[in-house]
Amino acid sequence: MPKEPKPHWNPYVAGIGLGLVLTATYLVVGRGLGASGPALRAAAVWVAALAPVHAATTPAFTRIVAEPHPFENYYVFLAVGTLLGGFVSAYLAGRVQPGVTKGPTASLQWRLWAALFGGVLLGIGARLARGCASGQALTGGGLLSAGSWAFMLAIFGGGYATVWFARREWR
Amino acid sequence: MTLFPLQAAVQNPNLAMALAVLAGFGFGFMLERAGFGDARKLLRQFFGTEMVMLKVMFSAVATAVVLTSLLDGVGLLDLRALGNLVTTETFLWPMIAGGLLIGAGIVFSGYCPGTSFVGMASGKLDAVVTYAGVVVGQVVAAELERAAPFKRFFESGAKGHLYLYDVFGVPAAVLALAVAAVAIGSFLFGEWVERKLGGDGAPASPARPRRFAFGAFAGVALAAVASLALPSGAGAAPRAAGSIGVEELARRVFESPWSLRVLDVRGAEACGAARIPGAECVEAAEVAKLGLDAEAASRDLVLVGPGDLGVPPEGALAFPGRVLLLTGGFDAWKSWALTAPTPLADGAPAAEREASRLRAGVHAAMTGVKAAAVAPAAGGAAPKRKKAGAGGGGCGG
Repeated sequence: MPKEPKPHWNPYVAGIGLGLVLTATYLVVGRGLGASGPALRAAAVWVAALAPVHAATTPAFTRIVAEPHPFENYYVFLAVGTLLGGFVSAYLAGRVQPGVTKGPTASLQWRLWAALFGGVLLGIGARLARGCASGQALTGGGLLSAGSWAFMLAIFGGGYATVWFARREWR
Repeated sequence: MTLFPLQAAVQNPNLAMALAVLAGFGFGFMLERAGFGDARKLLRQFFGTEMVMLKVMFSAVATAVVLTSLLDGVGLLDLRALGNLVTTETFLWPMIAGGLLIGAGIVFSGYCPGTSFVGMASGKLDAVVTYAGVVVGQVVAAELERAAPFKRFFESGAKGHLYLYDVFGVPAAVLALAVAAVAIGSFLFGEWVERKLGGDGAPASPARPRRFAFGAFAGVALAAVASLALPSGAGAAPRAAGSIGVEELARRVFESPWSLRVLDVRGAEACGAARIPGAECVEAAEVAKLGLDAEAASRDLVLVGPGDLGVPPEGALAFPGRVLLLTGGFDAWKSWALTAPTPLADGAPAAEREASRLRAGVHAAMTGVKAAAVAPAAGGAAPKRKKAGAGGGGCGG
């Protein structure tokens, strides 16, 4: 990208835009947004390829591996759309820049291992909470689900409690 | 009948999948516009230098809350029914633990699963690695879940579908106004923290979009509160008890007893002498001590008084499923179930024959006296058993 990236939108405006997308999804599709569903499906299919019997007897996977086409699923299509929308927005703003995001002094290796570690925590957390920050906090929060609000506050709590350990990655 | 959600996609999975791409497009576009394709931007939230996650997430949630509350208020949607359709049930403890883990995951990976898609779309390798980690995490969690103690924790704190308007016992519109106020307050606090920690480097917050956003939250929330005065408003009011008739209760007691919990609050003596099969004898004053809030939401609670109860006993509404009062109370049950049905004439309609057979069965079970045989239905088939759960299980009826 030769041109200088454009600035991000004002966070309140982007937030309201996100809220309108969320509300429209409730009203038109009768569902919410989410991002961890495809990971669960990929995990199920992956385990099933290595150990079919084991996957079929794992409660989290049983239902998914029994489906003829595990990836023909609302949340998988949603993820395809999310990638497309993210790409179009990034491209229009000149922000498609291949690379690794990290703090100026962090090593590349350390950053990628930390990303993997963080991802594992996200995966376990999403399973426990029946959804991730979008599937549970946004979708449930917007409909005033009590569990979603407890979850949303816990996200901030967990982040502030551990950010000190991750500081070298970002500064 | 409410207009939303539009039934076309709810009932047609293929259409829902096509619309999913569209919904996802908007989702990804907005996340990227907000700057979440860059992990460093998200991390500034936790270093306190730019409260971007707070602002975007809370703005989005507040937008959805005030809009759905307004639509509920004017009768275009039923907020509770929509919530039961869209949201997961509350499992308090694993959700809090999951939130803590996800918070930690965000500061190490720089993404939450949703924003990692946007990072990938911007060409970021760390976003790909993060999502690979999410897949691994799902496998780890699934394996842990095979162990009984983890599984117990995974299902602990089950509250069924529980909403903040139930917790606080106020109409949803009032809660929407509170959410708008809390959101605006937290934004002002966040901007104050940004100035404290960032000094001159604090992100600018231009007055125009801010005034627009705050005004919109407060304005729509106030409109939602005003809509409570409308007679048409469905208004997700605090929980109220429904009612159940004798015949429906009898049908469920005999055909799907697992879908019910019946409490007889007439007092120990009257209840001890005669009660509806499966009913528990509980003093009305003791209902609050039963711990009904820990029950599964898939069952209904039926309360039996001597006559119409009018209002449920204190504590009964903590029950997560539907709370139903028996119309006419035990007296109605007695006159219905302990009186033998009159024999039917030949050629009575099938529905009537079926109702009569149920009544005869109940009467026989309650009195030990077999009534005259009921005319057999065409084909002689017994009345169909209801499928488990269909009788009123479900999460919101």
